Amino acid sequence: MLDFVQALIDGILYGTTYALIGIGFTLVFGVMHKINMAYASASIGAAYVALVVGGLVAGASAWLVFGLSFLLGGLFGLLVYLICFHLIPLGNENATLMSTIGMLLLVDELIAHATQGMPQNYPSTAFGEEMVRMGELSVRGDLIFVFAVSVVAMGALLALLYRTRMGLATRAVAQQPVAAQLCGIQVVKVNALTFVITGLLGGIAGALVCSAVGTLSILITGPLTVKGLIVTVIGGLGSVPGAIVAGLLVGGLENVVLYLRGVTERDLYVMLLMFAFLVFRPNGIFARGAGRD
Amino acid sequence: MSKIALAVAAAFAATLGMQGGALAQEKTIKLAGFGVKSGVLRLFGLNSEAALKAAVEEVNKAGGVKLGDGSKAKFELADYLDDRCNAEEGISVVRRIAGSDALIAIGPTCSNVAEPLYGILQKKVDDKGDTGLQFPILTDVAIKGGLAKISEWSFRNVPSEFTMYSSLFYWLKTKHPNLTTVYGGVEEDFAHSRASWYAVMKDRSAANGYKVLGESKWLLNDTNFSTQVREMKKANADIVAIAAHPFTTCGVLKEMQRQGVKPKLLVGLTSTSSMETLAGCAKHAQGLIIPTSFAPVTKESKHAAEATAKKKGAADLHSMAAWENVFILKEAIERAKISGNKDAASLQTDRRKLRDALAATKTTKGLLGISKRTEDREADKPYVFVHAKGNDWVVLHNPL
Repeated sequence: MLDFVQALIDGILYGTTYALIGIGFTLVFGVMHKINMAYASASIGAAYVALVVGGLVAGASAWLVFGLSFLLGGLFGLLVYLICFHLIPLGNENATLMSTIGMLLLVDELIAHATQGMPQNYPSTAFGEEMVRMGELSVRGDLIFVFAVSVVAMGALLALLYRTRMGLATRAVAQQPVAAQLCGIQVVKVNALTFVITGLLGGIAGALVCSAVGTLSILITGPLTVKGLIVTVIGGLGSVPGAIVAGLLVGGLENVVLYLRGVTERDLYVMLLMFAFLVFRPNGIFARGAGRD
Repeated sequence: MSKIALAVAAAFAATLGMQGGALAQEKTIKLAGFGVKSGVLRLFGLNSEAALKAAVEEVNKAGGVKLGDGSKAKFELADYLDDRCNAEEGISVVRRIAGSDALIAIGPTCSNVAEPLYGILQKKVDDKGDTGLQFPILTDVAIKGGLAKISEWSFRNVPSEFTMYSSLFYWLKTKHPNLTTVYGGVEEDFAHSRASWYAVMKDRSAANGYKVLGESKWLLNDTNFSTQVREMKKANADIVAIAAHPFTTCGVLKEMQRQGVKPKLLVGLTSTSSMETLAGCAKHAQGLIIPTSFAPVTKESKHAAEATAKKKGAADLHSMAAWENVFILKEAIERAKISGNKDAASLQTDRRKLRDALAATKTTKGLLGISKRTEDREADKPYVFVHAKGNDWVVLHNPL
């Protein structure tokens, strides 16, 4: 029983990384009704460039690298918007999907070429090697830190969405872009800002994931993209709270299944969970009417 | 009109002159390398390519290779083609190479490419009913056991993990007789890792008197190993043997440190004895013992490593096999008395002669010593045991 609880705790904590990535996917979908497949790879890309730039500064701390990753994430988010969305005719439904898939592959390959495929040691947080003991249970200190930062980031994002004019404009564009435009909201500016905001979040997510893993490698981007999409579907397309809960759910489930059934069946059950939601609750965890926030 | 006639005559004479010049040019024997040059395994392809270039340059500097008519030819290395560690692309690449004037292909990197690739070759030579590709392949990297027997056109110059780990566990047993248990860690979704644990490490450790307590499993792309390492901790084995590549090996080693899992000895996979592992987790990998068919311990191996470094590649058991392959081919070509002619019929005859010469080869000169060739076209190569010490792989035991 103890092992089961341990596996669940480990999984839920690790699931915060999925939640961070899922939020980025779901926020873009909520505003533009399109999927940004390059989100996870751009996040890892930001983390990589931050590592390189941080490495140029002698004695650069992990915080500098994380800070750089945060800012670069915003920049990369804007670039992805400009290249993969802004220039693509809106009438072509699948074009942005294909362009972002292309961007995902491009970023991955650029990192592979720059690093020669070698994993790069990523700085850990202050709690990188610590384990917090709670009786027989133990929890990774760095994952608690990731969890805390994720909660703060998500809180900041929710505050931005629900307490600021910018957030109001974003939600207006998400609900009714034509009406929003008629009300004087600049849709293109809002879309670009959405990508910047999700990019900032992605930069932090990329840095935290690489920090939790201990190395930066393009092996991370594929699974992170898949998990991000699964979390987006389970949480409900466009639902930020849904993405948060779904991330923790997916993380917890996969680790519990790993413990009970082994690694070869782990991903199978996660996919089954996604299919179950698609069949029985297609609008996600917090399905409510149209299922959009 | 006379001016036109003069111009035409001049052009005709120039053409004849060019052809005469071409006839006077040296013959070349084309070798084609292929493997992974993109994605996370890119480094394998880059290192193999560098080693091939360095070896070809060395052969050519020494005068080239002797042909059947007594003349000398230079080796020409075709562009190293990328198969992306993908079986379909590997097959497509080899078909493309076979359609060129290359005499032989050296590759691939991945065992999951090599296995289906050998499958498209003619199984038995002279089998008129088998329309498989009749093209020789000499593999440098793909190391999963027993593949070359798939086709009589496939040859490998890779070490026998079965032999190396058998020797390693025997040596560990004699050196540390108090250690009795082994626990494994394995990448379940990678052909090489999976075969290395189940068919080699697990089997050989048990054969040498160790009790195998079980294994933890993960996938090539996994990043969270908390559950697997807890299983490892519970098993509390004396020796932990990790059959995984650098990315997940580093992840597991870091998690082991977090959870305070400290086995008496750590054993790793052959492919993990690379700079990639030390770049990712040198601190955590200290003491990791790996058998390998390359270490810069002889004059030849040091020279090969330096020459490859000049071509911007790193020397390890995989890339140095590519280096050895060039010299193996030089000897085989000379014994086979290859014509070096580029017309289709002569080229195919030469390919067959080379195949037969490789099949008849009993021993080859490797960088660590003499390698024996087996009946099923594999290599029995000399090896050493290395361990991670500081930022380098240092020889722990040299059975040579």
